[in-house]
Amino acid sequence: MHTIWRVILVTFLCGSPLGYGYTPGEMVDSKIPTKTLMPKVKVDSGRLEWVPYAMDLSPWPTLGEDDPRAIPRPQLAQYVAPLRGDAVRGRMIAMDTRRGNCVTCHEIPGEDWPGTFGRKLNHYKQMRMSDADIYQQIYDVRITAPRAEMPPFGALGILSDQDIRDVVAYLQSLE
Amino acid sequence: MRNLIVVLGLLLAPAWADEPYKEYTPAEHFEPHVSGDSQLTGTYRYWKDPTKLDLRLAGHPDDSWKLNWKHLDYPFNKEMHAGHLALDRGLVLFNKLNRSGTFKNCLVMYRLNGQYVTTLRGLRTHFPAYRTDLRRVAGLEEVIEHCAALEGETLQNGSYDNSAVSIYIASQSLGMPIKIDVSSGPLREAWKRGERLFHQKVGRNNMSCASCHVGRVGQSLRATVVTSPYGDAAHYPVYRDRFGITSLHVRFAQCSLDLGFNALKPGSPAYTDVEVFLTALTNGYPVSVPSERP
Repeated sequence: MHTIWRVILVTFLCGSPLGYGYTPGEMVDSKIPTKTLMPKVKVDSGRLEWVPYAMDLSPWPTLGEDDPRAIPRPQLAQYVAPLRGDAVRGRMIAMDTRRGNCVTCHEIPGEDWPGTFGRKLNHYKQMRMSDADIYQQIYDVRITAPRAEMPPFGALGILSDQDIRDVVAYLQSLE
Repeated sequence: MRNLIVVLGLLLAPAWADEPYKEYTPAEHFEPHVSGDSQLTGTYRYWKDPTKLDLRLAGHPDDSWKLNWKHLDYPFNKEMHAGHLALDRGLVLFNKLNRSGTFKNCLVMYRLNGQYVTTLRGLRTHFPAYRTDLRRVAGLEEVIEHCAALEGETLQNGSYDNSAVSIYIASQSLGMPIKIDVSSGPLREAWKRGERLFHQKVGRNNMSCASCHVGRVGQSLRATVVTSPYGDAAHYPVYRDRFGITSLHVRFAQCSLDLGFNALKPGSPAYTDVEVFLTALTNGYPVSVPSERP
Protein backbone atom coordinates (compact mmCIF):
# COMPACT_ATOMS: atom_id res chain seq x y z
CA MET A 1 0.00 0.00 0.00
CA HIS A 2 2.84 2.39 0.91
CA THR A 3 4.59 1.50 -2.35
CA ILE A 4 1.53 2.54 -4.37
CA TRP A 5 1.45 5.95 -2.71
CA ARG A 6 5.18 6.44 -3.30
CA VAL A 7 4.77 5.52 -6.98
CA ILE A 8 1.88 7.98 -7.31
CA LEU A 9 3.85 10.76 -5.62
CA VAL A 10 6.96 10.23 -7.76
CA THR A 11 4.93 10.03 -10.96
CA PHE A 12 3.13 13.26 -10.27
CA LEU A 13 6.31 15.06 -9.30
CA CYS A 14 8.23 13.87 -12.37
CA GLY A 15 5.37 14.37 -14.78
CA SER A 16 4.29 17.73 -13.45
CA PRO A 17 4.70 20.65 -15.83
CA LEU A 18 4.44 23.06 -12.93
CA GLY A 19 8.03 22.62 -11.74
CA TYR A 20 9.06 26.19 -12.52
CA GLY A 21 5.68 27.91 -12.56
CA TYR A 22 6.21 28.80 -16.21
CA THR A 23 4.23 28.16 -19.39
CA PRO A 24 6.00 27.72 -22.74
CA GLY A 25 5.02 30.27 -25.34
CA GLU A 26 4.32 32.82 -22.63
CA MET A 27 5.27 35.67 -24.94
CA VAL A 28 1.88 35.61 -26.63
CA ASP A 29 -0.73 38.34 -26.55
CA SER A 30 -4.11 37.12 -27.76
CA LYS A 31 -5.40 40.71 -27.97
CA ILE A 32 -3.27 41.57 -31.01
CA PRO A 33 -3.92 40.03 -34.45
CA THR A 34 -0.48 38.46 -34.84
CA LYS A 35 -0.48 37.21 -31.21
CA THR A 36 3.31 36.79 -31.07
CA LEU A 37 5.49 39.30 -29.21
CA MET A 38 9.13 40.22 -29.57
CA PRO A 39 11.42 41.76 -26.94
CA LYS A 40 12.34 45.44 -27.10
CA VAL A 41 15.04 46.82 -24.84
CA LYS A 42 14.31 50.34 -23.60
CA VAL A 43 17.35 52.38 -22.57
CA ASP A 44 17.68 53.15 -18.84
CA SER A 45 14.66 51.00 -17.99
CA GLY A 46 14.43 48.12 -15.54
CA ARG A 47 11.63 46.53 -17.55
CA LEU A 48 11.83 44.54 -20.76
CA GLU A 49 9.12 45.55 -23.19
CA TRP A 50 7.31 43.27 -25.60
CA VAL A 51 5.97 44.57 -28.88
CA PRO A 52 3.90 42.83 -31.58
CA TYR A 53 5.83 40.69 -34.03
CA ALA A 54 4.98 40.59 -37.73
CA MET A 55 3.75 36.98 -37.75
CA ASP A 56 1.68 34.67 -35.58
CA LEU A 57 3.97 31.81 -34.59
CA SER A 58 1.63 30.19 -32.05
CA PRO A 59 0.74 27.07 -34.10
CA TRP A 60 4.29 25.67 -34.03
CA PRO A 61 6.05 23.92 -31.13
CA THR A 62 8.50 25.88 -28.97
CA LEU A 63 11.86 24.87 -27.55
CA GLY A 64 11.97 22.78 -24.43
CA GLU A 65 10.56 19.64 -22.89
CA ASP A 66 7.56 21.52 -21.45
CA ASP A 67 5.86 21.99 -24.80
CA PRO A 68 3.82 18.81 -25.31
CA ARG A 69 3.00 19.44 -28.98
CA ALA A 70 4.38 16.98 -31.49
CA ILE A 71 5.93 17.83 -34.85
CA PRO A 72 3.99 16.45 -37.85
CA ARG A 73 5.62 13.25 -39.04
CA PRO A 74 7.15 13.02 -42.55
CA GLN A 75 4.22 12.97 -44.98
CA LEU A 76 3.68 11.96 -48.58
CA ALA A 77 2.11 14.77 -50.59
CA GLN A 78 -1.25 14.17 -52.23
CA TYR A 79 -0.34 15.68 -55.59
CA VAL A 80 -2.91 15.54 -58.39
CA ALA A 81 -1.95 16.48 -61.96
CA PRO A 82 -2.23 18.83 -63.88
CA LEU A 83 0.02 21.39 -62.19
CA ARG A 84 -1.91 24.61 -62.95
CA GLY A 85 0.74 26.83 -61.38
CA ASP A 86 1.54 30.49 -62.05
CA ALA A 87 5.30 31.02 -62.44
CA VAL A 88 5.10 34.77 -61.82
CA ARG A 89 3.26 34.28 -58.55
CA GLY A 90 5.69 31.48 -57.74
CA ARG A 91 8.64 33.85 -57.99
CA MET A 92 6.90 36.32 -55.67
CA ILE A 93 6.39 33.55 -53.12
CA ALA A 94 10.01 32.47 -53.44
CA MET A 95 11.27 36.00 -52.78
CA ASP A 96 8.86 36.79 -49.93
CA THR A 97 10.56 36.32 -46.56
CA ARG A 98 7.24 35.61 -44.83
CA ARG A 99 6.18 32.85 -47.19
CA GLY A 100 8.47 30.74 -49.34
CA ASN A 101 11.60 32.62 -48.30
CA CYS A 102 13.65 30.54 -50.72
CA VAL A 103 16.30 33.23 -51.26
CA THR A 104 17.50 33.02 -47.67
CA CYS A 105 19.11 29.67 -48.40
CA HIS A 106 19.07 29.21 -52.18
CA GLU A 107 20.38 31.22 -55.08
CA ILE A 108 17.71 32.12 -57.63
CA PRO A 109 18.16 34.37 -60.67
CA GLY A 110 18.01 38.11 -60.03
CA GLU A 111 18.88 37.99 -56.32
CA ASP A 112 21.93 39.97 -55.15
CA TRP A 113 22.59 38.41 -51.76
CA PRO A 114 21.46 34.79 -51.89
CA GLY A 115 22.09 32.34 -49.11
CA THR A 116 24.55 29.50 -49.53
CA PHE A 117 22.89 26.89 -47.33
CA GLY A 118 21.13 25.04 -50.10
CA ARG A 119 22.04 24.24 -53.67
CA LYS A 120 21.73 26.83 -56.41
CA LEU A 121 18.41 26.84 -58.23
CA ASN A 122 19.48 28.95 -61.19
CA HIS A 123 18.93 26.41 -64.00
CA TYR A 124 16.46 24.19 -62.30
CA LYS A 125 14.72 23.09 -65.49
CA GLN A 126 17.89 21.28 -66.50
CA MET A 127 17.47 18.89 -63.58
CA ARG A 128 14.52 17.40 -65.48
CA MET A 129 12.54 16.53 -62.37
CA SER A 130 8.86 15.75 -62.61
CA ASP A 131 6.26 18.12 -61.17
CA ALA A 132 5.25 15.50 -58.64
CA ASP A 133 8.82 15.07 -57.38
CA ILE A 134 9.40 18.79 -56.97
CA TYR A 135 6.02 19.10 -55.29
CA GLN A 136 7.01 16.39 -52.77
CA GLN A 137 10.40 18.05 -52.22
CA ILE A 138 8.73 21.31 -51.23
CA TYR A 139 5.77 19.74 -49.44
CA ASP A 140 7.91 17.58 -47.16
CA VAL A 141 11.60 17.21 -47.90
CA ARG A 142 11.98 14.65 -45.10
CA ILE A 143 10.61 11.93 -47.40
CA THR A 144 13.02 12.55 -50.29
CA ALA A 145 16.09 13.86 -48.41
CA PRO A 146 15.95 13.02 -44.70
CA ARG A 147 19.19 14.85 -43.85
CA ALA A 148 18.16 18.15 -45.44
CA GLU A 149 17.47 21.10 -43.17
CA MET A 150 14.78 22.53 -45.43
CA PRO A 151 11.43 23.39 -43.83
CA PRO A 152 8.57 21.04 -44.77
CA PHE A 153 6.42 23.77 -46.31
CA GLY A 154 3.32 21.70 -46.88
CA ALA A 155 3.40 19.40 -43.87
CA LEU A 156 3.85 22.30 -41.45
CA GLY A 157 1.26 24.47 -43.14
CA ILE A 158 3.58 27.27 -44.28
CA LEU A 159 2.49 27.23 -47.93
CA SER A 160 -0.89 26.22 -49.33
CA ASP A 161 -1.39 23.69 -52.12
CA GLN A 162 -1.76 26.42 -54.75
CA ASP A 163 1.34 28.25 -53.41
CA ILE A 164 3.46 25.12 -53.84
CA ARG A 165 2.08 24.56 -57.35
CA ASP A 166 3.08 28.13 -58.24
CA VAL A 167 6.61 27.63 -56.90
CA VAL A 168 6.94 24.36 -58.86
CA ALA A 169 5.82 26.17 -62.01
CA TYR A 170 8.41 28.89 -61.34
CA LEU A 171 11.22 26.36 -60.86
CA GLN A 172 10.26 24.48 -64.00
CA SER A 173 10.53 27.75 -65.90
CA LEU A 174 14.19 28.40 -64.94
CA GLU A 175 16.09 27.45 -68.13
CA MET B 1 -9.57 -1.69 -3.37
CA ARG B 2 -9.97 -2.78 -7.00
CA ASN B 3 -12.03 0.36 -7.77
CA LEU B 4 -9.33 2.49 -6.16
CA ILE B 5 -6.65 0.97 -8.38
CA VAL B 6 -8.79 1.46 -11.52
CA VAL B 7 -9.45 5.11 -10.65
CA LEU B 8 -5.79 5.72 -9.87
CA GLY B 9 -4.77 4.05 -13.12
CA LEU B 10 -7.05 6.35 -15.10
CA LEU B 11 -5.71 9.41 -13.29
CA LEU B 12 -2.10 8.40 -13.85
CA ALA B 13 -2.53 7.37 -17.49
CA PRO B 14 -1.42 10.79 -18.88
CA ALA B 15 1.85 10.49 -16.95
CA TRP B 16 2.62 7.28 -18.80
CA ALA B 17 1.37 8.53 -22.20
CA ASP B 18 3.62 8.29 -25.25
CA GLU B 19 6.26 10.95 -25.69
CA PRO B 20 5.26 13.45 -28.42
CA TYR B 21 7.08 12.99 -31.74
CA LYS B 22 10.03 15.39 -31.85
CA GLU B 23 12.93 15.50 -34.25
CA TYR B 24 16.57 16.18 -33.52
CA THR B 25 19.44 17.15 -35.77
CA PRO B 26 22.08 14.39 -35.68
CA ALA B 27 24.35 15.19 -32.74
CA GLU B 28 27.93 16.34 -33.07
CA HIS B 29 30.56 15.79 -30.43
CA PHE B 30 31.06 18.95 -28.39
CA GLU B 31 34.02 19.67 -26.13
CA PRO B 32 33.21 21.76 -23.04
CA HIS B 33 36.19 23.93 -23.96
CA VAL B 34 36.62 26.58 -26.64
CA SER B 35 39.45 24.62 -28.29
CA GLY B 36 36.80 22.17 -29.54
CA ASP B 37 36.14 24.68 -32.31
CA SER B 38 39.17 23.34 -34.17
CA GLN B 39 37.22 20.11 -34.73
CA LEU B 40 34.02 21.88 -35.69
CA THR B 41 35.05 24.75 -37.96
CA GLY B 42 38.85 24.75 -37.94
CA THR B 43 38.99 28.53 -37.42
CA TYR B 44 40.06 28.47 -33.77
CA ARG B 45 43.67 29.08 -34.71
CA TYR B 46 42.78 32.52 -36.15
CA TRP B 47 41.14 33.87 -33.01
CA LYS B 48 42.32 31.86 -30.02
CA ASP B 49 44.51 34.66 -28.72
CA PRO B 50 42.51 37.90 -28.61
CA THR B 51 45.70 39.97 -28.64
CA LYS B 52 47.07 38.24 -31.74
CA LEU B 53 44.24 38.02 -34.26
CA ASP B 54 45.06 37.21 -37.86
CA LEU B 55 43.91 40.54 -39.24
CA ARG B 56 44.28 39.61 -42.91
CA LEU B 57 40.79 38.20 -42.58
CA ALA B 58 39.07 41.17 -40.93
CA GLY B 59 36.98 43.40 -43.16
CA HIS B 60 36.67 40.88 -45.96
CA PRO B 61 32.98 39.97 -46.18
CA ASP B 62 33.66 36.32 -46.99
CA ASP B 63 36.39 35.81 -44.39
CA SER B 64 35.43 37.91 -41.35
CA TRP B 65 33.55 34.98 -39.89
CA LYS B 66 36.82 33.04 -39.59
CA LEU B 67 37.86 35.49 -36.88
CA ASN B 68 34.57 34.71 -35.13
CA TRP B 69 34.09 38.51 -35.03
CA LYS B 70 36.68 38.80 -32.27
CA HIS B 71 38.13 41.84 -34.02
CA LEU B 72 35.11 43.69 -32.61
CA ASP B 73 36.15 42.81 -29.04
CA TYR B 74 38.60 44.57 -26.75
CA PRO B 75 41.61 44.95 -27.09
CA PHE B 76 41.39 45.30 -30.85
CA ASN B 77 38.24 47.35 -30.82
CA LYS B 78 38.92 50.32 -28.55
CA GLU B 79 36.19 52.46 -30.10
CA MET B 80 33.53 54.07 -27.94
CA HIS B 81 30.10 52.52 -28.33
CA ALA B 82 26.87 52.24 -26.39
CA GLY B 83 28.20 49.25 -24.48
CA HIS B 84 30.49 51.63 -22.60
CA LEU B 85 27.55 53.85 -21.72
CA ALA B 86 25.77 50.79 -20.37
CA LEU B 87 28.87 49.98 -18.31
CA ASP B 88 28.70 53.43 -16.71
CA ARG B 89 25.02 52.95 -15.98
CA GLY B 90 25.80 49.57 -14.48
CA LEU B 91 28.32 51.11 -12.10
CA VAL B 92 25.79 53.70 -10.92
CA LEU B 93 23.09 51.06 -10.43
CA PHE B 94 25.42 48.66 -8.66
CA ASN B 95 26.45 51.29 -6.13
CA LYS B 96 22.81 52.24 -5.61
CA LEU B 97 21.77 48.62 -5.06
CA ASN B 98 24.77 47.84 -2.88
CA ARG B 99 24.34 50.75 -0.45
CA SER B 100 24.11 48.39 2.50
CA GLY B 101 26.39 45.69 1.06
CA THR B 102 23.65 43.02 0.95
CA PHE B 103 23.35 43.07 -2.85
CA LYS B 104 26.94 41.94 -3.33
CA ASN B 105 26.53 39.33 -0.60
CA CYS B 106 23.50 37.97 -2.43
CA LEU B 107 25.40 37.81 -5.74
CA VAL B 108 28.29 35.81 -4.36
CA MET B 109 26.09 33.29 -2.59
CA TYR B 110 27.07 30.10 -4.33
CA ARG B 111 29.64 27.44 -3.71
CA LEU B 112 32.79 27.00 -5.75
CA ASN B 113 34.91 24.04 -4.80
CA GLY B 114 33.05 23.84 -1.52
CA GLN B 115 33.66 27.46 -0.52
CA TYR B 116 31.59 30.58 -0.91
CA VAL B 117 33.08 33.07 -3.37
CA THR B 118 33.60 36.54 -1.86
CA THR B 119 34.77 38.95 -4.58
CA LEU B 120 33.34 40.47 -7.74
CA ARG B 121 36.60 39.84 -9.57
CA GLY B 122 36.27 36.53 -11.35
CA LEU B 123 32.56 36.24 -10.53
CA ARG B 124 31.48 36.37 -14.18
CA THR B 125 33.76 33.47 -15.09
CA HIS B 126 31.79 31.10 -12.85
CA PHE B 127 28.30 31.79 -14.21
CA PRO B 128 25.90 30.02 -14.86
CA ALA B 129 26.24 28.32 -11.50
CA TYR B 130 24.14 26.23 -9.14
CA ARG B 131 22.60 28.66 -6.67
CA THR B 132 21.99 27.49 -3.14
CA ASP B 133 19.35 30.21 -2.61
CA LEU B 134 17.33 29.50 -5.79
CA ARG B 135 18.16 25.76 -5.63
CA ARG B 136 18.70 25.53 -9.36
CA VAL B 137 21.23 26.46 -12.02
CA ALA B 138 20.92 30.15 -12.93
CA GLY B 139 22.72 32.63 -15.16
CA LEU B 140 24.09 35.99 -14.04
CA GLU B 141 21.16 38.08 -15.29
CA GLU B 142 18.68 35.94 -13.42
CA VAL B 143 20.67 36.23 -10.20
CA ILE B 144 20.84 40.01 -10.63
CA GLU B 145 17.06 40.10 -11.01
CA HIS B 146 16.60 37.99 -7.88
CA CYS B 147 19.09 39.92 -5.73
CA ALA B 148 17.74 43.30 -6.91
CA ALA B 149 14.23 42.20 -5.95
CA LEU B 150 15.52 41.54 -2.43
CA GLU B 151 16.65 45.18 -2.40
CA GLY B 152 13.20 46.28 -3.58
CA GLU B 153 14.24 47.20 -7.15
CA THR B 154 12.85 45.81 -10.39
CA LEU B 155 15.57 44.77 -12.85
CA GLN B 156 13.84 42.33 -15.18
CA ASN B 157 15.95 39.72 -16.90
CA GLY B 158 16.79 41.14 -20.32
CA SER B 159 16.02 44.78 -19.49
CA TYR B 160 18.58 47.52 -20.12
CA ASP B 161 19.32 48.07 -16.43
CA ASN B 162 19.78 44.36 -15.75
CA SER B 163 22.15 44.02 -18.71
CA ALA B 164 23.99 47.16 -17.58
CA VAL B 165 24.68 45.68 -14.12
CA SER B 166 25.69 42.41 -15.81
CA ILE B 167 28.13 44.30 -18.06
CA TYR B 168 29.59 46.08 -15.02
CA ILE B 169 30.07 42.83 -13.10
CA ALA B 170 31.54 41.12 -16.16
CA SER B 171 33.95 43.99 -16.73
CA GLN B 172 35.46 43.28 -13.31
CA SER B 173 36.62 39.97 -14.86
CA LEU B 174 37.87 41.45 -18.14
CA GLY B 175 40.51 39.22 -19.65
CA MET B 176 39.89 36.29 -17.27
CA PRO B 177 38.96 32.98 -18.95
CA ILE B 178 35.46 31.59 -18.56
CA LYS B 179 35.61 28.55 -16.33
CA ILE B 180 32.47 26.58 -15.53
CA ASP B 181 32.71 22.94 -14.53
CA VAL B 182 30.17 20.76 -16.34
CA SER B 183 31.74 17.45 -15.41
CA SER B 184 29.37 16.61 -12.55
CA GLY B 185 26.35 17.67 -10.57
CA PRO B 186 23.47 19.96 -11.59
CA LEU B 187 25.66 21.75 -14.15
CA ARG B 188 26.32 18.47 -15.93
CA GLU B 189 22.57 17.79 -16.08
CA ALA B 190 22.03 21.29 -17.48
CA TRP B 191 24.85 20.78 -20.02
CA LYS B 192 23.27 17.55 -21.26
CA ARG B 193 19.81 19.11 -21.46
CA GLY B 194 21.23 22.17 -23.21
CA GLU B 195 23.03 20.02 -25.76
CA ARG B 196 19.80 18.13 -26.45
CA LEU B 197 17.80 21.35 -26.80
CA PHE B 198 20.46 22.76 -29.12
CA HIS B 199 19.66 19.91 -31.50
CA GLN B 200 15.86 19.89 -31.08
CA LYS B 201 13.94 20.83 -34.22
CA VAL B 202 11.27 23.39 -33.48
CA GLY B 203 9.09 26.07 -34.92
CA ARG B 204 7.68 27.01 -38.27
CA ASN B 205 10.82 26.11 -40.16
CA ASN B 206 11.42 22.83 -38.34
CA MET B 207 15.02 23.74 -37.68
CA SER B 208 17.22 23.53 -34.63
CA CYS B 209 20.06 25.73 -33.41
CA ALA B 210 22.40 23.02 -34.72
CA SER B 211 20.87 23.20 -38.22
CA CYS B 212 22.80 26.42 -38.76
CA HIS B 213 25.38 26.62 -36.01
CA VAL B 214 26.85 23.18 -36.46
CA GLY B 215 26.42 21.99 -40.01
CA ARG B 216 26.64 25.32 -41.78
CA VAL B 217 29.09 27.59 -39.99
CA GLY B 218 30.65 29.88 -42.58
CA GLN B 219 27.74 29.58 -45.01
CA SER B 220 25.36 32.48 -45.33
CA LEU B 221 21.68 33.09 -44.77
CA ARG B 222 21.15 35.85 -47.26
CA ALA B 223 23.85 38.32 -46.19
CA THR B 224 24.44 36.99 -42.67
CA VAL B 225 27.28 34.52 -42.19
CA VAL B 226 26.60 31.92 -39.52
CA THR B 227 29.05 31.83 -36.59
CA SER B 228 30.48 29.05 -34.50
CA PRO B 229 28.78 28.34 -31.13
CA TYR B 230 32.22 28.20 -29.52
CA GLY B 231 33.50 31.36 -27.86
CA ASP B 232 30.30 33.39 -28.15
CA ALA B 233 29.21 33.61 -24.52
CA ALA B 234 32.30 35.62 -23.54
CA HIS B 235 31.06 38.90 -25.00
CA TYR B 236 27.50 39.01 -23.67
CA PRO B 237 25.58 41.24 -22.86
CA VAL B 238 26.52 42.87 -26.16
CA TYR B 239 25.66 46.12 -27.91
CA ARG B 240 24.05 45.34 -31.25
CA ASP B 241 23.57 48.22 -33.66
CA ARG B 242 20.02 47.33 -34.53
CA PHE B 243 18.70 46.09 -31.19
CA GLY B 244 20.61 47.93 -28.48
CA ILE B 245 22.05 46.22 -25.41
CA THR B 246 21.22 42.52 -25.81
CA SER B 247 21.66 39.91 -23.11
CA LEU B 248 22.14 36.27 -24.07
CA HIS B 249 18.55 35.26 -23.32
CA VAL B 250 17.18 38.20 -25.30
CA ARG B 251 19.42 37.08 -28.18
CA PHE B 252 17.90 33.60 -27.84
CA ALA B 253 14.43 35.19 -27.96
CA GLN B 254 15.30 37.07 -31.15
CA CYS B 255 16.73 33.94 -32.73
CA SER B 256 13.65 31.97 -31.62
CA LEU B 257 11.45 34.36 -33.60
CA ASP B 258 13.75 34.00 -36.62
CA LEU B 259 13.47 30.21 -36.36
CA GLY B 260 9.70 30.51 -36.20
CA PHE B 261 8.43 29.83 -32.71
CA ASN B 262 7.16 32.03 -29.90
CA ALA B 263 10.02 33.44 -27.86
CA LEU B 264 10.35 32.18 -24.31
CA LYS B 265 10.71 34.49 -21.34
CA PRO B 266 14.33 35.38 -20.49
CA GLY B 267 15.22 33.24 -17.51
CA SER B 268 13.13 30.25 -18.58
CA PRO B 269 14.60 26.77 -18.00
CA ALA B 270 15.16 25.97 -21.69
CA TYR B 271 17.18 29.14 -22.25
CA THR B 272 19.18 28.60 -19.05
CA ASP B 273 20.12 25.10 -20.21
CA VAL B 274 21.25 26.37 -23.61
CA GLU B 275 23.15 29.17 -21.81
CA VAL B 276 25.01 26.55 -19.77
CA PHE B 277 25.80 24.65 -22.97
CA LEU B 278 27.11 27.72 -24.81
CA THR B 279 29.07 29.00 -21.81
CA ALA B 280 30.78 25.63 -21.44
CA LEU B 281 31.70 25.86 -25.12
CA THR B 282 33.43 29.13 -24.22
CA ASN B 283 35.49 27.67 -21.38
CA GLY B 284 39.04 29.00 -21.61
CA TYR B 285 38.19 32.12 -23.63
CA PRO B 286 38.58 35.45 -21.84
CA VAL B 287 35.65 37.67 -20.92
CA SER B 288 35.52 40.60 -23.35
CA VAL B 289 32.79 42.96 -22.21
CA PRO B 290 31.57 45.55 -23.25
CA SER B 291 31.61 44.59 -26.89
CA GLU B 292 29.61 45.35 -30.01
CA ARG B 293 28.37 43.35 -32.94
CA PRO B 294 26.67 44.43 -36.17
